[in-house]
Amino acid sequence: MQGYKVKKIFSEDLGRNNPVFIQVLGICSTLAVTNLLKNTVVMCAGLVFVTALSNVTISILRNYMPSRIRMMVETLIIASYVIIVDIMLKAFLPDVSRQLGPYVGLIITNCIIMGRAEAFALSNPPGLSFLDGIASGIGYSYVLLAIAFIREIMGSGSIWGYPLLGDWWTNWSIMVMAPGAFFTLAIFIWIVKGVLDRKEIAAS
Amino acid sequence: MFPIAFMMIVTVVFISITTIIYTFTEDRIKLNERLRLKRAVLYAAGVRLPDDPAEIEEAFNNRVTEVKDDAERVRYYEIGSSDSSDDIESYVVIRTGAGLWGEITAGIGFDKDLEILQGLEIIEQNETPGLGGRISETWFKEQFSGKLPPLSAVPEGDETSAEQFQAITGATYSTGAIRDIVNSARKYAQREIQGAE
Repeated sequence: MQGYKVKKIFSEDLGRNNPVFIQVLGICSTLAVTNLLKNTVVMCAGLVFVTALSNVTISILRNYMPSRIRMMVETLIIASYVIIVDIMLKAFLPDVSRQLGPYVGLIITNCIIMGRAEAFALSNPPGLSFLDGIASGIGYSYVLLAIAFIREIMGSGSIWGYPLLGDWWTNWSIMVMAPGAFFTLAIFIWIVKGVLDRKEIAAS
Repeated sequence: MFPIAFMMIVTVVFISITTIIYTFTEDRIKLNERLRLKRAVLYAAGVRLPDDPAEIEEAFNNRVTEVKDDAERVRYYEIGSSDSSDDIESYVVIRTGAGLWGEITAGIGFDKDLEILQGLEIIEQNETPGLGGRISETWFKEQFSGKLPPLSAVPEGDETSAEQFQAITGATYSTGAIRDIVNSARKYAQREIQGAE
């Protein structure tokens, strides 16, 4: 039973119920931090950490929490974890912290975290909530990494800061700006939805 | 009453946790920021060091003097020569100007006559990553060494004279911001260091 649930959580969050390309949550950061792969990796790690731990905490408190004020409590818990991520980055990865700038703080308003807290952590035990946080985080991360890969190679001709494409390549400036993310995400959703829909038609 | 009590307890607990973590890392964060400033001052002065905290610390302590005003704010940095004589080799000033999204803070180094640029280091910037953000790239910063301000920009990839530098394609505003910061830094340095009007 438990094993079945775990498997379901992962297949939902990574595929059919993916936070980014199905629920279209967390788009703000999808657009903002995906122009360089390195920034995206740190952002994703931060998000996985915050989603998993806030899910656990909210799940532990769920039976004591008065439902009227639960949103306040959730926001407070999420904000606390984001502050911790911010402090840790400043102390141990100062260069990355500076590059991400305000985006670390903006994890607080990432809809995925609040969404998972409300939809999952409030009605499930801490262990499963933790896994759901991890799974949603990964579901968010791989989409962002794919977009960041496309944007960095087309926009800067490099991957992880190393120039891969030679002089013959002309950088597409639009790819490093917000519109580039809109185009890339839209094409990504188009392809993935197409594949998923075809599978469903084939299944029925 | 219970919701109020509950919220208060949760608040106290979480603020305590973040405060404890902050207290433990506070010194480290301040040290990081200090080190970054020291590295920037040395880099702007044209001193190239490996990225080793101990070496940066030592070079800064041996060669750099902070010249402060009455309010203890740093007006400029004097960089002594690498041999043990007391000669001043260069000056570094830290200036801030308006970028596209936020302020750009840079360290700008001049020779002892305030004529020749020794180097430029970007300390803080929030320009568009991949466009204006490229002002932090090495090729862009390095081209300023040996230039004679006031400077003007030419398109990226063009030949430059001693009074010109290469702009960043697609980042006209950020390029202009750097040009203004460098040019006004020289005026500031002349005023502060030579007392010129």
